[in-house]
Amino acid sequence: MLEPMTRVRIVSRAPRLEQVLQRLYRLQLLQLDPAVGEAEPTLTAMPGDAEREARADELRLLIARLGGLLELAGPSPTIGEASVQAAQVAAELDAIAPRIESLATRIDELRTELAVLPRYLEPLRRLLPLVPELAELDEQQLRALRLDTVALVLNTSDDGLVEGLRTALLELVGNRFELVTTRVDADVVGCLVVVAHDDADAVRTLLGREHVRHLPLPERYERLSFHGAVSAMEARLRDLPNDLEVATTDLQELLAPRAPAWAAARSRLLAELAQLDAVEQLGATARTFVAAGWTPTAKLRLLRHELELAASEEIAVEALETRPGVEPPVLMRNPAPARPFEFLVRLLDLPRSGSLDPTMLMALFLPLMVGVMVGDIGYGALLLGLSVFVRRRFAASPVVRDLTRVFIAGSLWAIVFGFVFGEALGDLGHRAGLHALWFYRGGKDAVEPLLLFSLAIGAAHVVLGLLLGLWRSALERRGGELLERAGTLLALGGTFGLAGIALDHLPGGALVPAVAAIVVGVVLVIAPGGALGLMMGPLSLIGTFGNVLSYLRLAAVGLASAYLAIVANQLGSLGPIWLGVLVAALFHALNLALAGFSPMIQALRLHYVEFFSKFYEGGGEPFRPFGERAPA
Amino acid sequence: MQHGLMALGAGLAIGLAALGTGFAQAKIGAAGMAAIAEKPELTGRAILMVAIPETLVILGFAVAAMILVLL
Repeated sequence: MLEPMTRVRIVSRAPRLEQVLQRLYRLQLLQLDPAVGEAEPTLTAMPGDAEREARADELRLLIARLGGLLELAGPSPTIGEASVQAAQVAAELDAIAPRIESLATRIDELRTELAVLPRYLEPLRRLLPLVPELAELDEQQLRALRLDTVALVLNTSDDGLVEGLRTALLELVGNRFELVTTRVDADVVGCLVVVAHDDADAVRTLLGREHVRHLPLPERYERLSFHGAVSAMEARLRDLPNDLEVATTDLQELLAPRAPAWAAARSRLLAELAQLDAVEQLGATARTFVAAGWTPTAKLRLLRHELELAASEEIAVEALETRPGVEPPVLMRNPAPARPFEFLVRLLDLPRSGSLDPTMLMALFLPLMVGVMVGDIGYGALLLGLSVFVRRRFAASPVVRDLTRVFIAGSLWAIVFGFVFGEALGDLGHRAGLHALWFYRGGKDAVEPLLLFSLAIGAAHVVLGLLLGLWRSALERRGGELLERAGTLLALGGTFGLAGIALDHLPGGALVPAVAAIVVGVVLVIAPGGALGLMMGPLSLIGTFGNVLSYLRLAAVGLASAYLAIVANQLGSLGPIWLGVLVAALFHALNLALAGFSPMIQALRLHYVEFFSKFYEGGGEPFRPFGERAPA
Repeated sequence: MQHGLMALGAGLAIGLAALGTGFAQAKIGAAGMAAIAEKPELTGRAILMVAIPETLVILGFAVAAMILVLL
């Protein structure tokens, strides 16, 4: 159901502004809209206040700083004193920030080193055996020999590139160089060029011109011999995890004791900032301020009472007439068992204000359809167990809570239809003597009743949708739509009549009324559209018949699930028992995974496409009360 | 022979319909995922769009089931 909303105007003396905004923030019952507009010509915007703006800027900065620190600290409970001052928080942050920044920088540097060092180490390790004479010489010794080395990494899988480099070096310095290469992996070649010191600059210029990535060693390894550098890097890589852990622990020890109080301070500062920002939505006269917005009609008395307490009776809360063309915001409020399904309705679109909220109907039909498709006591029980487990394990997430409630309802219906079809893990129940209350889906004669059952559910669902649409059209006096929906219903009824006669469920005398209903229905569907209706009317009717046929997916998915389970059991009975149990368990697990996913998607589709298209009006704007908890 | 041809027809009815559905869903699904990446609030509508071509395979199933009932 959609909660009826009332537009309200709140007028109070200017000195009461702070208390009123504080109470509104705590109550979370009013969606604030701009109070100044065409309907309120005597109001002006609240006068700009430099002090207020400066305070808001200060709060934004503090909130951002606290947010950054809390992100570093990770999740923590929100515990703190109720009366913490912004200045106090700022002073504390100023005192501690340098230590935190220094530790955070060190952690970043250590992480970078940990990631980068192997990239130097691996090519060097592979190149050293190729230049054993050079590997032991440090920088000074190389200089004494007037030699220079350049390490390179070529990101290529093409060996021709190395030959190209060799040719280019040959052209540049003649034979006065040595190039050794090794493939580090499929796309990376490590290279070491040894040249005369006098040619080194020319070689580096050539490499720069050809966009070859030069790999200078980090500063601390530059003066060592290659062997020394490799040993030093290996030692550093061994030490790095420990250094990183020490720095991380130091940072956490600094942050963890303060984080709960910071989280509390941040949420209080966010509240204060929201109240400062809300002033922009208000209007003013010389001595009063005016707030306007929407509140749930059922909460109007509570809102009035609370605001009178906050403003010591110096306040007027009046309900206003809704202006034509103004859409109230939408707040869905359904009984607890149906509430998890609100999420699924919102997934498509929020219902338009004043339209029908289909959540209750979805809560009734969606699990039933999932149950028809799964239709197995074993799978139903397993899905139920899994849903309860996931619900307990991830209880903190509202989406998981809602989804698991939907799955629990679907699993219960699956167990019910498991008894109807006499299935428990496919034909295992049947083999163990479980008898179907109606028919067994694995049997030879199951196809026809299953198809008819699916079509019956489809016909009932689509007709219900059309009836709801008819009711909405009558309520809103949309004549053309009313005629079209009535015509569709008549034509559909006539077609069901014809099908009943064909299947000998109805007497032959019903033929004339059935044909008459179809003819009248077609005329009613065509009439509102005029000339265009001649084409669109029959197409719309065919679409509705297609909608009913679409419910055959209940049979299709159900049969697929039942036969996969039977195949699992048959495969399980082949070969040794341990292998059979393993294969059967694997197939049943696969089928269970499909049963947890496919029926839900199919049932959702049947609601969104086949059912909602008959009456649902989306496009509502959600109710966003002032004081709604800001995202952490 | 006749039964074999009928069974083959049933298989073709659902198989070709499934191919058609898969072809349509591949294109709609790719576009839907791109749309969701830009606007996550379109998830519901994307599911709806992806699910629309499934009617083809359901009609294929209906034809196949009718053939099997006649077998």
